Amino acid sequence: MSSPASEMRGAPAVGAADAVIDATGVHRWYGEGDARVEVLRGVSMRVLRGEKVAIMGASGSGKSTLLSILGCLDRPDAGGYRLDGVDVLQLSDDEVSDLRLRRIGFIFQAFHLVPQLTILENAEVPLFYAGVPLRERHDRAKSKLEQVGLGHRLHHRPSQLSGGEQQRAAVARSLVLEPPLLLADEPTGNLDTENGKAVLALLDRIHAEGRTIVMVTHDSAIAERADRTVHVRDGLIVDSAHAPAGKATA
Amino acid sequence: MSALNVTAGFVQLAFRNLRGYKLRSFLTTLGVVFGIASVVTMLAMGRGAKEEILREIDKLGIRNVIITSVKPAETKGGAAQRTWVSAYGLRFKDLDHILATVPGIARALPVHSYAEQAWFGSRKEDVVVQGVTAGHFDAVKLKVAMGRDITDDDNRVRRGVCVVHLGLLRALGWFGDPIGFRLQVGEQVYEVVGILEDEEFRGLARQALSSPAPSQGEVYAPYDTVITRVGLMSYTRRSGSFEASNVEINTVVVEATNQDDVLVVSRMLRTLLDKTHDVKDWEIVVPLELLAQREKAQRVLDVALLTIAGISLLVGGIGIANIMLATVTERTREIGVRRAIGAKRRHIVGQFLTETILLAGAGGILGVGLGWVGTFIVGQFTQWEARFTPDVALVALVVSCAVGVMSGILPAWRASRLDPIQALRYQ
Ligand SMILES: Nc1ncnc2c1ncn2[C@@H]1O[C@H](COP(=O)(O)OP(=O)(O)OP(=O)(O)O)[C@@H](O)[C@H]1O
Ligand SMILES: [Mg+2]
Repeated sequence: MSSPASEMRGAPAVGAADAVIDATGVHRWYGEGDARVEVLRGVSMRVLRGEKVAIMGASGSGKSTLLSILGCLDRPDAGGYRLDGVDVLQLSDDEVSDLRLRRIGFIFQAFHLVPQLTILENAEVPLFYAGVPLRERHDRAKSKLEQVGLGHRLHHRPSQLSGGEQQRAAVARSLVLEPPLLLADEPTGNLDTENGKAVLALLDRIHAEGRTIVMVTHDSAIAERADRTVHVRDGLIVDSAHAPAGKATA
Repeated sequence: MSALNVTAGFVQLAFRNLRGYKLRSFLTTLGVVFGIASVVTMLAMGRGAKEEILREIDKLGIRNVIITSVKPAETKGGAAQRTWVSAYGLRFKDLDHILATVPGIARALPVHSYAEQAWFGSRKEDVVVQGVTAGHFDAVKLKVAMGRDITDDDNRVRRGVCVVHLGLLRALGWFGDPIGFRLQVGEQVYEVVGILEDEEFRGLARQALSSPAPSQGEVYAPYDTVITRVGLMSYTRRSGSFEASNVEINTVVVEATNQDDVLVVSRMLRTLLDKTHDVKDWEIVVPLELLAQREKAQRVLDVALLTIAGISLLVGGIGIANIMLATVTERTREIGVRRAIGAKRRHIVGQFLTETILLAGAGGILGVGLGWVGTFIVGQFTQWEARFTPDVALVALVVSCAVGVMSGILPAWRASRLDPIQALRYQ
């Protein structure tokens, strides 16, 4: 199976060689004519390999919409987007699906585990789509769940777990195929402080492994732990400041 | 990435998903369960009916053409003729003629029969004495269970012997050794030398072979003995007066050399008898034609039954499709999640199609089981014969899976076309 991510469509922008995310002038609107609501109005954003970036902004400012586009779940109505130098807008639905599967891990505020499956089965889902043989699926999903401290909960349904456990299971699921990029939309939004901390610590560890992380958050304390924070207001990026020196990871 | 691995994965996935919706899954399959059960029962009954026909036809002999003498329709002024001796039917010369002119005949066996009463002590039973030649039992598929057959020698020396059903002797009140029993039939005595194998069968074959009247018992005696002893005249009591008839041969069993010739032989026989007989005093029964007729009737019935079964399966399939559409809507979020994780459209199609096929297949298995029970019940409580065979089960399973595919296509396609973002936001 050829990886669409390796198929370069056009040369990467100069100086963007090490940019995982390279979005330029992204527009996204809903509705037509007078009813047209422009959610993103020309967002440009670049994230380098190994960076940890926080996105902040008021409710309804378009953070989730932006993250969906960065995660290849949604397409911009105008503008360009390259992921690992690949022009995502040129790819077919199947190729984009493959990008999501192998290059991107997604973590949601509402966890989004499949309710009728056990935690282990949930973690096996991406492996099945990637064509990993049955036996290996089981072993790999199990070891990933053990890494997030859920080795004792493998055969529980999501509804039988606490929010923090569910989110850790979701993190494990997003990582089973070892994607270099992790996108998280308010990963601690539904968690209490204690559980939130555990998940954040987990994300820190993942970041330390060398993965790139882009995370939407409302909490400036959380944003401070990122390399830099991007502020979105009215569909535009208004400020992209690096975090205080010393916080950045190599 | 082998196709087997993928299929196994989808099946595993479907099992895991359906496990979460046990009651609904069960209810979803009910339409298919009953549809398949009715298909199975109907096919089994159709098969049973067909076997029954074949058995009946087999009694008559598939290579046989049976010619029977019948009293021609009475002409006007019949009242005056009532007491006259009426001579009609097949004559000896007809038999010679047939053997001389019609090719493809292995043998033609004449039967002379008359109605009489057998008695023993004070008991009486109506019987038909059938004068037969050697080979008659073989030609009409009767088997001698005990003792011996009627032979050429019996005919040559005109022995007063007979072959009967054991039931006749029992009805007369004789419970001793049947062989050697001296059976009194009218004024004649025939010594029992053979007992026919008892068979349940009452029907077509008897009707065709026992010409004078349907009777409880047949007494098979050598043809020449019967002709010599009682002559060709037979008397029947009819509305107060006796009627005498002179019939040389009541029945001829014509056996064609092979099955392919049967229809040609029967056509030639008809033409021949049409030419040589002024009145229609004969009738021809061709088991093979009967078979064709019955098969035709059976086919019409089959088509009707299968149409009903097909409609019930269609309804079952629509039921599944309907519930799967609702399921897709209900599980929109799950679909969004799967797409976000990296599922391709075909993965979503595969998932829902497999679930539907599995549901329909499970319905098929349950339906086959129910149909098997139904077949058993029909066999127990009705006259119909029903035959449940593995190939019926196999057909039912294939059909139910096909129903699954048909009813799964639309919901699966719908699911795969959902926009991932919209699906994730659902609810
Ligand atoms: N399908 C849609 N149709 C119309 N408007 C939409 C649609 N999806 C999103 N929007 C609008 O786009 C705007 C941005 O939504 P988005 O979810 O990106 O906000 P957000 O920044 O993530 O907010 P929050 O912090 O509350 O999650 C909102 O005003 C929303 O109403
Ligand atoms: Mg949001």
